[in-house]
Amino acid sequence: MRYELLEHTADLMIKAYGDTLEECFENVAFAMADQIVDASSIYLSKEEDIVIEGTDLEELLYDFLSEILFIFDARGLIFGKFNITLLQERLECRAWGEEFNPKKHSPKSDIKAVTYHELQVNEDEPSITVLFDV
Amino acid sequence: MAYNGPLEKVDDYRWRIPKSYKEGMRTDAIIFASEDMIPSIREDNAPEQAANVATLPGIVGSSLAMPDIHWGYGFPIGGVAAMDADDGVISPGGIGFDINCGVRLIRTDMELNDVRPHIKELINILFKNVPAGVGSKGIMKFSGKSFDDVLQYGAEWAVESGYGWEEDLLTTEEGGRMKTADPSKVSDRAKQRGIPQIGSLGSGNHFLEVDFVEEIFDEEAAKAFGLREGQVTIMVHCGSRGAGHQIATDYLRTMERFVRKSGIELPDRQLACAPTRSKEGEDYFKAMSCGANYAWANRQVILHWIRESFEEQFRTDAESLGLRQVYDVAHNIAKLEEHDVDGKRRKVYVHRKGATRAFSKGRPEVPEQYRNIGHPVLVPGNMGIGSFVLVGEEQVMKDTFGSTCHGAGRMMSRSQAKRSFTVKGVRDELGRRDIYLKSATRDGILEEAPEAYKNIDDVISVVVGAGLSRKVAKLTPIGVMKG
Repeated sequence: MRYELLEHTADLMIKAYGDTLEECFENVAFAMADQIVDASSIYLSKEEDIVIEGTDLEELLYDFLSEILFIFDARGLIFGKFNITLLQERLECRAWGEEFNPKKHSPKSDIKAVTYHELQVNEDEPSITVLFDV
Repeated sequence: MAYNGPLEKVDDYRWRIPKSYKEGMRTDAIIFASEDMIPSIREDNAPEQAANVATLPGIVGSSLAMPDIHWGYGFPIGGVAAMDADDGVISPGGIGFDINCGVRLIRTDMELNDVRPHIKELINILFKNVPAGVGSKGIMKFSGKSFDDVLQYGAEWAVESGYGWEEDLLTTEEGGRMKTADPSKVSDRAKQRGIPQIGSLGSGNHFLEVDFVEEIFDEEAAKAFGLREGQVTIMVHCGSRGAGHQIATDYLRTMERFVRKSGIELPDRQLACAPTRSKEGEDYFKAMSCGANYAWANRQVILHWIRESFEEQFRTDAESLGLRQVYDVAHNIAKLEEHDVDGKRRKVYVHRKGATRAFSKGRPEVPEQYRNIGHPVLVPGNMGIGSFVLVGEEQVMKDTFGSTCHGAGRMMSRSQAKRSFTVKGVRDELGRRDIYLKSATRDGILEEAPEAYKNIDDVISVVVGAGLSRKVAKLTPIGVMKG
């Protein structure tokens, strides 16, 4: 299982899994895209490099997911595949996707933002829990 | 996640979490609710969040929660907290990412029978003219710095640009423009996110609804608001789109770093805050004001398109159709206000997160035409039942810094709603009530199914019973447009 939805009354809480933390980061980004649209309908024709710097894993996660939301709103790009490398206080991501097309991608929810509420990056048993404001 | 802590009954409508409940609480938390609501309120983490808010430095009075309280992030939804203007903090989590999400109500001179036979065509025209849905974009172009005018002047910008009438500003909270706005405090990224979306509804719980006045409860107030039984009205619920979301995202990060640096201890990272007098705090308030102005400009532009849509359908100009604005309220915002606290006049930043300002008669902030009554308070219920117009009672100024509820409040999570309902089922149910529904997304229909919300009558009866507000009118939908 790449991710599951956890119960939250008003918003959207996701728990993403993976064998490594990097895979968890990839899966949480995929999960977010999969809540905005049907991610399986995204054609991976465009490639983009995203670099984030931050002081801890939570901040890297918050900034990384916020960056993907920014790219979606400001440039209309939606990504369906991510390849992530975690370095000291730095995250490097190559993302693949295409221009968002509401007729093609079966839009589901507008995610407004990433929150810090209940945000957890578990390094021991790799998983990520994050709450999105929708 | 459930709340098992104390909830002491103060009276039939007030429940207290004493400050002894957890370390760091500086004051009590008070939840406005009826006894019947308590089990469902305990079901999620919202009371804990109300207690957490009581730990914030400089909180004045109690941490408050309205009866539509539910689990949010940082603050509960339905949360109200006043922070001392000199010694308190400001917290983006007490406003929300959708800065100045709010509601606008427009009345008409048309009767139910004039509109119901044409509701399908009318909603389809509105759907064509008002962009809605996930990633929806407006149709406006901006060059160079011209977008800064939206952030600086809000609804004034929109009216000056030809979107609406001067009189609309008189019936908008703050006149549709917070003068504390400073666009230089807004990142380029927030501007880039906001530019393509101005004049769009968005999705989620945002909507545009054509209603009729089913019942009047207070003749005097209804008359002042221009409302009468059988009249058709229009309600819009939306906010500051990506501009506000990015402003909040940027400053939450800034404040989160500030908190770690300064050693303020918080029970939830999402409660990140900064002193009102710090650079971080002041910059955020100026940027938040820009987000608020964006939202007022957004709803103002949408009002213009509503008028155009009615003109298109009924082949009569909007003035002759009587499409006048009743009011526009913000329900996710912080305001610098003066309130009497324990016999002393104090300046406070009132955080309202999913709570509506409900200033009673006499307050200078109430528009002149409503000053002898209090301004209209707009409370949407759900798309099957409709909405209420309330007005603040004098008690509201003493008890809740002039704040009341903002909606029914969700009861069911979005994923639970998607599992529980079908598009056909929701449509049929609305059809039985003679309500035409058009939505940009399937999820928008399921997540917003009427049964996913608490009963609006219960919520209203608490704010009425507690003496915070009184009912003026009940609006019932005939056509709903969802993002």
